[in-house]
Amino acid sequence: MSAAPWVAEAPAVEARGVEKWYGPLPAVRGIDLALARGELLTIFGPNGAGKTTLLRILCGAVRPTRGTVFVAGEQVGGEEEGWRRRIGLLSHQTFLYPGLTAAENLDFYARLYGLPDRKGRVEEGLRQVGLLERRGDRVRTFSRGMQQRLALARTLLHEPEVVFLDEPYTGLDPHASAMLRAVLDRLKDGRRTVVLVTHNLSQGLEQADRVAVQVGGRWVSDERRGEIDAARWEQVYTERVAAAV
Amino acid sequence: MAGYLAQAWAVARKDLLLEARSRERFVSMATFAVLVAVVFSFALDPTVRSRDIAGAMLWVTVLFAGTLGLGRSFALEREADALTGVLVSPAPRGAVFLGKWLANLLIVLAVEAVVFPVYALFFGLRFAGALGGLVLVVFLATAGFMALGTLFSAIAVHTRLGETLLPILLLPLLIPVVIFAASATQRLLAGRPLAEVGGNLRMLLAFDLVFLFVCTAAFGSAMEE
Repeated sequence: MSAAPWVAEAPAVEARGVEKWYGPLPAVRGIDLALARGELLTIFGPNGAGKTTLLRILCGAVRPTRGTVFVAGEQVGGEEEGWRRRIGLLSHQTFLYPGLTAAENLDFYARLYGLPDRKGRVEEGLRQVGLLERRGDRVRTFSRGMQQRLALARTLLHEPEVVFLDEPYTGLDPHASAMLRAVLDRLKDGRRTVVLVTHNLSQGLEQADRVAVQVGGRWVSDERRGEIDAARWEQVYTERVAAAV
Repeated sequence: MAGYLAQAWAVARKDLLLEARSRERFVSMATFAVLVAVVFSFALDPTVRSRDIAGAMLWVTVLFAGTLGLGRSFALEREADALTGVLVSPAPRGAVFLGKWLANLLIVLAVEAVVFPVYALFFGLRFAGALGGLVLVVFLATAGFMALGTLFSAIAVHTRLGETLLPILLLPLLIPVVIFAASATQRLLAGRPLAEVGGNLRMLLAFDLVFLFVCTAAFGSAMEE
C-alpha cells in the first residue's frame, strides 16, 4: 500500500490558525505555517513553549482546539488517512516495546504500515542504524542511545516524506548524536521535509533551512537560515525569548 | 478489509508475544482466580450445596480476575509511549481496538481454562455432558466482557485513577452479561440440556455484537487527546 500522489503545488506541511488550549491554559496560539517540500524547519523555544504540542498537532497525534493542518494537501485528521503513510515521528519517547526484540519491534510497525518485503525492510533499517548484530536482543537490554537509534529506524521504516523530530538528541552520547546527525543529513535529499524541535541551538541551526522561535505558544520569529548570523544566534535567541516571556 | 484484519492481527500478535514472554497477566489472573476458589471453599457454609451456586461463583471469579488483567492491557502501551506510535500509524483505530480485544480474549480464555477445572476439583463439579455448552457460554460471555473491558481499559489508562477507575466503570455495565452467563452455566452444570439455555446464548451473542460494534466505534474518540 502506498500514499496517494502528492497534491500538485501543495505545501508539504501547512497549518492554518492552529491553537491548542488545555482548559483555560493555552499551549499553542495562532500558528500559521507553510513548509515547502524538501525544507528543514527547526523550532526552538524554552521549556513549556508548546513546541512538542505543536509537533504532535502537525503529525495528527493531538487534535487542535482550533485551526487545520494539511500534509501534502490532505487534511490531518480528515476521513482520508493517506497522510499517515507520509509522516514519521521521532520523539524522545521511543514508541518501542521493551519486551520485544529490535527486529520484532520493526516488524510490528512494518505490519501496521502494510509494508511489502517486511524482512528485507527490517534488516535494512537495522543496518542503517548499526543494530543489525543486535536484531535478536530485547530492547530492554539496549542503552538509551541504541534505543534512540532503533526509534530512528522505526521512524524511517516506511520511508516517510515528512519527518517530525522532537528533541531527538535528548540523552544521546556524542557517538549516537553523530550517527543521528549523519542520518538526518541523508534525509536532506530535497524530497523529504523535516520539522525538528530542539533545545540544541548549534545543531538545530546547522541543519535548518528555516528557523522559528516559539515562546508561550506563539511564534515570535520565523526566518530563513540565510538571514541568521550563526555567530550571534545564541545571543539573539536569548534576547527574543526574554522579550517575549 | 484484508489490510484492516492484518493490522488488527499485528496488534494482537504483538500483545500475545509480549504476554508469552512475561506471562505477567496470565500468572497474576490465574493465581488470583485460584485463591478466590480456595477462599470460597473455606468460606461457604458446609450445608450449602456448592453446585447450586457454582455458576455465580465462577463468573464472579472470572470477572474480578479478568478486570485485574485488563488493567495491564494498555499499561503495556504507555511504556515508552508506544501507543502514540501506533496511533500515528495508518492502522485504523477500529483495527487497533480489535487487535487489543482479541489478545485480551485469548489471554482470559486461557485463564478460564485453568479456573474451571480448579472449581471442578474444589466443589465437585462435573463438566461431562455439558462441556460443549459450557465452552459456548464461556466464549460468548468472555467476548462481551473483553469488548467493554478493552474500551474501559483504554479510557482508564489516560486518567490519574487508572486501574482503580477500571472496575468502577466496568463492573456495573457487565451485570447483564453475568446474569445470562451465570444462569446458563448453572443450568448446564445441573445437567439441563443445551436447548434450555438457548435464550441465554442468544442474549450473550446480542450483547457481544452490540458491545463490539459500539466499543470499536467509540475507541477512536477515547484515544483523542
